Amino acid sequence: MSPDTAAVHAASPARVAPARARLLVHLRSRSAVGVVMTLPLILLIVGLVAYPFVYAIYLSLLNKRETAFVGLDNFRFLLTRDTFWLVVQTSFLFTSLAVVWKAILGLVLALVIHTLPPRGQRVWRGLSLIPWVMPLALSSLGWWWIYEPTHSALNWVLVLLGFSPKSWLADPFWARFSVILVNIWYGTPFFMITYLAGLKSIPQELYESSAIDGANAAQRLRHITLPMLKNIIAITLLFSTIVTLATFDIVRVLTRGGPRQWTHLFGTYAFELGIASGDVPLGAAVSLFMFPILAVSAFFILRGIRRSTS
Amino acid sequence: MIGSPRARRAAALLVCYGIIGAFMVFFLFPPYWMAVTSLKTNQEIESLEGIPLIIQKGATLKHYVDLFTKTDFLVYLKNSVLVTIPTVLISMVISVMAAYALSRLGFVGAGLIGTGVFLVYLVPDSLLFIPLFKVIGGLGLLNSKWSLLVVYPTAIVPFCTWLLIGYFASIPRELDEAALVDGANHFQMLVRIFLPVAVPGLIAATIFAFTVSWSGFLYPLAFIFSSSEQVLTAGTVTSLIKGDVYHWGGLMAGALLASLPPVLLYAFLMDYYISGLTAGSTKA
Amino acid sequence: MEQTGRRQFLKTTAAGAAAAGVVGFPRVSRGAGKLALGLWDHWVPGANAVLKGIIEDWGKANKVEVTIDFITSIGNKLQLTGAAESRAGAGHDILAFSTWDGTFYKDKLEPMNDVADAVIKKYGPYNENAMYLNRQGGKWVTLPSPIGSHTYPLETRMDLWKKHAGIDVQAIFPADAKKRDKKKVDAWDWKMFLEGAKKVHAAGFPVGASIAENTDSNDWLGPLFATYGSFPMDEKGNITIASDATLAAIDYLKQLVQYMPKDIYGWDDASNNRWLISGKGSAVFNPPSAWTVAKRDRIEVAAQVWHHDAPRGVKGRFRGSLPFTWGVWGFGKNKAAAKDLLLHLSQKEQQWKTITASQGYDVPQTVAFSSHPVWTEIEPPKGGQYNSPVRGDERLIVAGWPAKQEIAAQIYSKWLLPIMVGKITSGGTAPKEAVKWAAGELEGYKRG
Repeated sequence: MSPDTAAVHAASPARVAPARARLLVHLRSRSAVGVVMTLPLILLIVGLVAYPFVYAIYLSLLNKRETAFVGLDNFRFLLTRDTFWLVVQTSFLFTSLAVVWKAILGLVLALVIHTLPPRGQRVWRGLSLIPWVMPLALSSLGWWWIYEPTHSALNWVLVLLGFSPKSWLADPFWARFSVILVNIWYGTPFFMITYLAGLKSIPQELYESSAIDGANAAQRLRHITLPMLKNIIAITLLFSTIVTLATFDIVRVLTRGGPRQWTHLFGTYAFELGIASGDVPLGAAVSLFMFPILAVSAFFILRGIRRSTS
Repeated sequence: MIGSPRARRAAALLVCYGIIGAFMVFFLFPPYWMAVTSLKTNQEIESLEGIPLIIQKGATLKHYVDLFTKTDFLVYLKNSVLVTIPTVLISMVISVMAAYALSRLGFVGAGLIGTGVFLVYLVPDSLLFIPLFKVIGGLGLLNSKWSLLVVYPTAIVPFCTWLLIGYFASIPRELDEAALVDGANHFQMLVRIFLPVAVPGLIAATIFAFTVSWSGFLYPLAFIFSSSEQVLTAGTVTSLIKGDVYHWGGLMAGALLASLPPVLLYAFLMDYYISGLTAGSTKA
Repeated sequence: MEQTGRRQFLKTTAAGAAAAGVVGFPRVSRGAGKLALGLWDHWVPGANAVLKGIIEDWGKANKVEVTIDFITSIGNKLQLTGAAESRAGAGHDILAFSTWDGTFYKDKLEPMNDVADAVIKKYGPYNENAMYLNRQGGKWVTLPSPIGSHTYPLETRMDLWKKHAGIDVQAIFPADAKKRDKKKVDAWDWKMFLEGAKKVHAAGFPVGASIAENTDSNDWLGPLFATYGSFPMDEKGNITIASDATLAAIDYLKQLVQYMPKDIYGWDDASNNRWLISGKGSAVFNPPSAWTVAKRDRIEVAAQVWHHDAPRGVKGRFRGSLPFTWGVWGFGKNKAAAKDLLLHLSQKEQQWKTITASQGYDVPQTVAFSSHPVWTEIEPPKGGQYNSPVRGDERLIVAGWPAKQEIAAQIYSKWLLPIMVGKITSGGTAPKEAVKWAAGELEGYKRG
C-alpha cells in the first residue's frame, strides 16, 4: 500500500493499541534481524580482511624462513636499506604530485564544463570518464605501447616538434614521470565528475548577487566557488591519497619498479620482495608501512564527512 | 575589457572549448592509439616510416580475428563474465542487507560496524594478497576463478553499503512504522519501500561492483595460473604476450576489447551512475 | 631403476591413496592416478606440444591422468605460482622452477636423491652448475630439468661483425671443437670485444646487453665479473665484492656501455631478442630464442646468426646460464608417480625428442647429452648453434656463484649486480660507493 494510506491507517484510533503491541514485538526482534542481515558483511570483513590483515602483521614479525619470531627486526632492517628509503621517496612524490595534479586538472575541467550550456555538457562529461572506466591494467598496456622505446608515438610527436626523444621507461626521472602521468590520466575524471556535481549544488543566487556587486570571474571563484566546494575538495583529496598510495597496476605493467627501483611504490616493492625473492615477512613489513599514512588520512576523512553531514 | 558582452562571451566560450579540446586529446589519445594500432598490419606497426598516428597502409581486422581464433581470449572473456555476474549479485545482496540493517535496525555495535566497514578501504589488496594465499588455499580455491568471487566482494561491499546507507537513511521513519503496523515484515519493507527509493543508488552501486570485478588485476594475477581459469585483465597482460616478439597489434586489440564492456555500461547508464553517486554522498 | 620406480608407484596406487577431496584445485588430490604439472611455457614455437605429447603418452601407458599447465615466466608468473602453492600447501604435483626459485621453497619440496642418483648412474654426471643449484646440503632439493635450461653464448650477426669490425666469429668458433685455433680463441678477449663493439656501433648496429632488473642482465654480468675474478661472496660467507677485480670489471663496463643503446636500462627479458630480430642489433648475450623466432619471421636475419663463446677475461672464461629445475611438492598426493614421470623425462630417449623440439634451445644438464646432433645440423646457418652448449673452456655459472645457495639465490633474485652497475654507468654513482652499497646489501642477505 502507498505510504500515505499507511499513515492514515496507522493514525486511526481503532488500530492504535494492538499496533503498539505489535511494534514492541517488532522492536525486540529488530536487533536479531539486524544482526542476521549484517552477518554476511561481518563475515566477509572478518574472514577476508581482518584476519588476513592480522596474519600479515604476524608474518611481518617473523624471520625470512618463517621459523622464528623476530619482533620488529624486519621493520628496523628496512629502515637501514637505501632501497627502502627510495621507495618511501617515490611513494611520497608519486602520491603528492599525482593527487594535487588530479585535483587541479579535475577542477579546471569541471569549471569549464560547468560554464557550458547544460545540454552541451553531457557529451564532454561522458567522454571524460573514459580513462577512468577502462580497466587500469589494460589501459596501462596501451600506455606501455605509447612509451615503447622504438615505436613511441610520444617520441614521434616530440621529434616532429623539434625536441629530442625520451627514454620514457629506462631513465629514472622519465620513468617516474611516465608512471605519474598515467595515474593522472586515470584519476582526473573522478575528480572532475565529483567537482562538477559539487558545482551544480552551489545556488545560482550567490553568483548572481556577486555579479551585481561587480565581482569578476576570478573573484567569484575565490570567494564563492572554492569555499562552497571546500568539503568536497577535502574529501576527494583524502580518498585519492589512499587509493593513489596503494597503486599497483600501473607500475607493475609499465616498469615493474625499475629502472633500478626508482619507480617502486610500497605495493609493488612488497610484491617483489615477497614473491620474486621469497622473503614474505619482509614484503609484509613493507606493505604495513602504508598503514599509518592511510590511517591518518582516514581519520581526517571521517572527521570531514561527519562535519559535512552535521 | 575589450568588445561587447557578446564578443566577450564568445571569446570565453572559445577558451572553454579550447581547454576541453586539450583535455579530450589527453584523455582520448591512448584509446585512439590502441584502436589505430589494432587495425594496422604488422608491417606497418613495425616500420618506422610514415605517420604512425594514422593508418596509411590499409586497415585490417586480422588482429581481432587472430585474437578469437588463435589465443585464449574467448576463454578469458568467458571467465570474466562468469566471475563478474555472481560477484555483482552477491555483493549487492550483502550490501543491501547490511545497509538496511545499519541504517534502520539499530543494534549494539551498529555504529562501530559502520565505521569499521569504512576502515576496510585502508587495507589495500597489495597488502592482503600474501596472507590471502593461505585463506584461498585453505578453501581449495587456488587457481580457480571462484577465488575471485570470494575476494572481490571485500572491495565492493564496503563502498556499496556506505552508498546505500545514505539513501536508506533519508527515508522517513514514519514509513517504516506505518508498514510495520500493517504487518509488513522487514523483508517486505526492504523490497517495497526502501529499494524503490534507492534505485539511483542501486544502479550506481551495481555499476561500481561491475567495474571492480571486471577490472581486478592483482588478485587474478596472484591466485590464478592456468589459462583455462584466467580472466581478461591478467590474461591479456600476461598471456597474450607470446615470448619474445610482442605482437602489439593483437595486444592492443585484446586490451581494447576487454575494456569495452565497462565503457558500454557507463555509456548507457552514465546519468544514473552520476546522479546515484552524488545524490547518495550528499545524503551521507 | 625405472622398473622399480614403476612398481613402487603401482603399489601406492593399489593402496588406494585417496586424498582429502579439496574443492576446486587441484583436482589431482581426489586420488592416486592423477598428476598435475606446472611447466614453463617454452618460448620456442612448438616445443610445448612435443613435451605434452610425451607426458600424455606416459600417462596413458601408466594409467595416470595428467594435466599440464604451461605457465609463462613473463611478469614473474611462474615465480608467483611457486610462491602461491608453497604458501597454500596445495597446487600442482610437479612444478618447474627457474634457476633459484626452487631454493626458496626447498623445505617444502620432496628430496630427489633417488631419481638423481638413478640418472647419474645410467648416463653419467650432471654438469657442475646443476650440482651447485640442485644439490644442497647433501640433498637433491630439486631435479635438474633439461626443458628450458639454456646458456648465454653470444648470439652474433656474423655478417655485420665481419663487415664492420673485421672479426669473423665463425672462423674463431667453427662448428667443430677440434677445428678451433687456440691462438685465435685466446685472442677473443674483452679488449677485442670492446674494439669490435665500438666499430659496429659506429656503423649503426650496436651490441645490446641489458642492465636492468631481469634475468638476462644477471646472466651476462655475473660471468663478466667472474672472468675478472670478482665475486660478490665466497663459499664461506665472506663478502668479497669490494675488490680490485670488481673495480677493474666496472671500469671495463663503463667503456662498453658507451657503445650500447641507452634503453638497456629499461629492457626486459624479451628486449634483447627483439633487438636482434629487428636487424638493428649486431650481438646479444642470449640463448637461441631470438634466432628461432627470426627463423620464423625474418629468415634473412636468422641465416646470419652465429652462436659462440663469450670473451675471455684475466681469470678465464665464464658463461652465464639459466637452468630450470623440477620440484615435487612435499604436500603432493602422488609423489611416487611424480618421481617416476620425472625419471622417465630424464631418459635419453625423451631428452632427445625435447631437445629437437626446442630447436637446440634446451641445453641438457647431463654432460653426455651434448652429443645430440641438433646443434651441428640445424640451420640456417649450418653449425650456427654448435657452440650453444659449452664446447670450449668456459665454465658455466649462475650469478651469485660461489656463495652459499640461500644467499646466492638472493644475489640473483634481488638483481644486485645489474643494479650496482646501473648506478655507476647510468646513475653516475662513484664505483667505490656503489660497491659499498652492494656490500651493505650482501650483509642484509645473510639475515635468516
